Amino acid sequence: MTRELLNPRERFGLLVIDEPQDRVPVYPLVTSRAARVLGKTVREYCTDGITMARCQLAAQDRFGHDFISLFSEVGLVAEALGSAYDYPEDDVPMLLRPRWRGLPEESDLSDVSDPSDGRVRMFLSAVEYAWEARSDTVPVLAFIPAPFTTAQQLVDPEEFLLGLLTAPEQAKGLLDWVTRATVALTRKVIEAGGLPVFVDPLASGSVISGEQFREFALPYEAGVIRFCHRYDLDIILHVCGDGGPVIDLLPETGADLLSIDLIGLDRAIAAAGGRCRVVGNFPTTQLWLASPAEVGSAAGEMVRQGRACPKGFVAATGCEVPHDTPDENIDAFVAACREAGTNRAFGQQS
Amino acid sequence: MVVPDLSFDGWAEKFASLPDELMAQHYYYRAQQARLGRVEPWSYYMFPPQTFALYGAKHLKRLSFDSSLAALRMWGFVQNETERLYRARQLGMKVVATMGDLGAVPVLVNAFPGCVPFYPDCTWWTPFVQESKVLFDAATRLGIGDATCYSRAALGAFAKHSYFPDPDLVVASTGASCDDYSGVEQLAAGIAAETLWVESPWRKGCATCGTGFAVEPGTREFLSAEYRRVVERLGRLTGHKPTDADLLAAIRKTNLVRSKTGRLRDYGYVQAALPALEMMVVEFGCLHYYADIDEWTNILDDLLRTCEQRVRNGERVAAEDALRVVWITPPADPLFLCHFEKRGARIVGTEYVINQALVPIAERGRPLDALAGSFLQASLIGSSRERADLAVTQARERGAEGAVISGILGGSHCAMESHLIAGRVKEALGLPVLQFDVPEPAREVNQQLGTRIDAFLEVLAGRRSQTGQTSRTRRTSPTGIP
Repeated sequence: MTRELLNPRERFGLLVIDEPQDRVPVYPLVTSRAARVLGKTVREYCTDGITMARCQLAAQDRFGHDFISLFSEVGLVAEALGSAYDYPEDDVPMLLRPRWRGLPEESDLSDVSDPSDGRVRMFLSAVEYAWEARSDTVPVLAFIPAPFTTAQQLVDPEEFLLGLLTAPEQAKGLLDWVTRATVALTRKVIEAGGLPVFVDPLASGSVISGEQFREFALPYEAGVIRFCHRYDLDIILHVCGDGGPVIDLLPETGADLLSIDLIGLDRAIAAAGGRCRVVGNFPTTQLWLASPAEVGSAAGEMVRQGRACPKGFVAATGCEVPHDTPDENIDAFVAACREAGTNRAFGQQS
Repeated sequence: MVVPDLSFDGWAEKFASLPDELMAQHYYYRAQQARLGRVEPWSYYMFPPQTFALYGAKHLKRLSFDSSLAALRMWGFVQNETERLYRARQLGMKVVATMGDLGAVPVLVNAFPGCVPFYPDCTWWTPFVQESKVLFDAATRLGIGDATCYSRAALGAFAKHSYFPDPDLVVASTGASCDDYSGVEQLAAGIAAETLWVESPWRKGCATCGTGFAVEPGTREFLSAEYRRVVERLGRLTGHKPTDADLLAAIRKTNLVRSKTGRLRDYGYVQAALPALEMMVVEFGCLHYYADIDEWTNILDDLLRTCEQRVRNGERVAAEDALRVVWITPPADPLFLCHFEKRGARIVGTEYVINQALVPIAERGRPLDALAGSFLQASLIGSSRERADLAVTQARERGAEGAVISGILGGSHCAMESHLIAGRVKEALGLPVLQFDVPEPAREVNQQLGTRIDAFLEVLAGRRSQTGQTSRTRRTSPTGIP
């Protein structure tokens, strides 16, 4: 691999101040897939902060992508607030028992100013380790579930979705409470050195309508993003699944970068690309199952489309890289995105 | 009463309780944005060290900070400078890199509307703040390796095109200056779009007299003519031809910064109202005002109010009996300043090779002559003895008990000059002197150096107990400028 002019930190620094970069940043969401790089189980990755960080560092070394992505799954906040999770040997933690069967009463909502139960300490240790190890050259992203997704992990999911219709104010009370907890955790993440990425997969168009998104997800996403803007941070919001019903609304969250999944890139750029950098959106199934040549060809095409985004583009996968994705396919993705995303005019003075 | 400093984590706590309204008051490029009728969100800057640490400034986690809001504001502004320079370009301003002279050419650049000066030289701190050798490695690939001053980071920054916008013009001063940096400038000129070379004359055969250095006839006129070329070239860049009144206005703005800095030096070094780390940032603000002279002036006012209040309340940032030290040559790693203070010393005077940026510029006569006259007080264009005497004067005035010379491994003038300056300080004042080279970027002060520093401070403490010296610092001139 030839030496590049900029490192990921420098490249990202230019992107977020609206300056051209030497090439588009490349960001396959190598999250728990990173466990494979060091031969760890996903359980080890998800339950030991130092292991998580080391796997991420090793994956970044191996594939040469532009971010460290500290993430296991969407239960981080919910577990800290009382939901129970199961930890399979080689899969991400799964919700075993939500804290509540139905929407809680206001009196059930205790103080959440210092969420530190569950895997919070583990996660913060991963952030600190990665920050110490590599933050001078690579941005360290710390994924935090957004309030809507967390709320759906605290209450029986069907009951929660039903509650949006039958007891909307009670649902909002829960969402307010979760938002306070999320903000408190976000502050700890910032202090540990992680750039927060908010993930709200359960608020996608695959789960709720655009109207429900506007009422029950957007204000709370906006709340946590507003908190981060107080620190002048550039925030990625990731909404996976069907982005069609919500894409027009996503810029209203205040996110600086929108990470999208199942939606045409042209459509996403037209709807949001004037206000937000677009991050996306290579199909993960294709990354997993196609040949390296097919991956490279399709990724190059995606980047050529994405570079039309006025606010900037990050070549990413639409969601997390599946565990069984061959190394060769990730390599092909990274190489093709780099090649198609190269800005040959960079550094040439007029 | 001693005002406690704040750690990195301490700032996190304090920042969390600040009202949003306070942060919304502080933004840069006010005049430019007022003309556009808007305030861009990117122009706010009062953010905590955590923000900048997230974007790579790892060393902030190791430093101790002054606990005032004025200091927080200052740090946010200074750390924000890279973005500010890019935003200047986005606003349509001309970005002019000034190199090598440390303080004079930016005065001229500020006489041109829509122009902003900056010193790539100041990126010498970046590897230390980021705890990274990225810029050094980039410089090495271009031919300037480890055996050269840390200022080679500037060349790496030119090559990277991501630490400041590619300048519209580079004004590079050479001649009587740092040898290493002249090499950096030469290679940077191969990357920059256009470089205008300016010669800094040697201050020949002069002797210390009164408030400054005497100058050979013709020297000032030579430099004034050099500045005329700068003005003409900037005129072609901007389409603006400044009058003497425009130049004088720029000088007055500069003098305002220098006089406020002088007062802060008095507060910091004489009355211990600000720590050494913040004081170094203040002093270096006289170079190019961190790319917005108006906002930097406001920040200095804020710091002055803090100092005034502290002095009024009998508050200090160091104990009365702290060991008094003058510091010669700025430490590339700012952690050393914090380390000395933590070990019971305080800085009562500095010779950071920027004397030319601290002295007032005459506001009478022809402006370019006046600017040239002030530059001829520069630290680096005369003999080592003259430079040493800048420190000796402060040490004598403020009852210093020792001197520290922080050199740079490979820095040519350090290798030759540090010994001469140490000798002069010992000869003139009989003070112990600690000389050391600042090591490459690291998380902490290495153990060997830490032991040397401790031993040095023990010597100072021992001498004090033998001589029965008082801990009082004598006051110096009202401006604090020697």
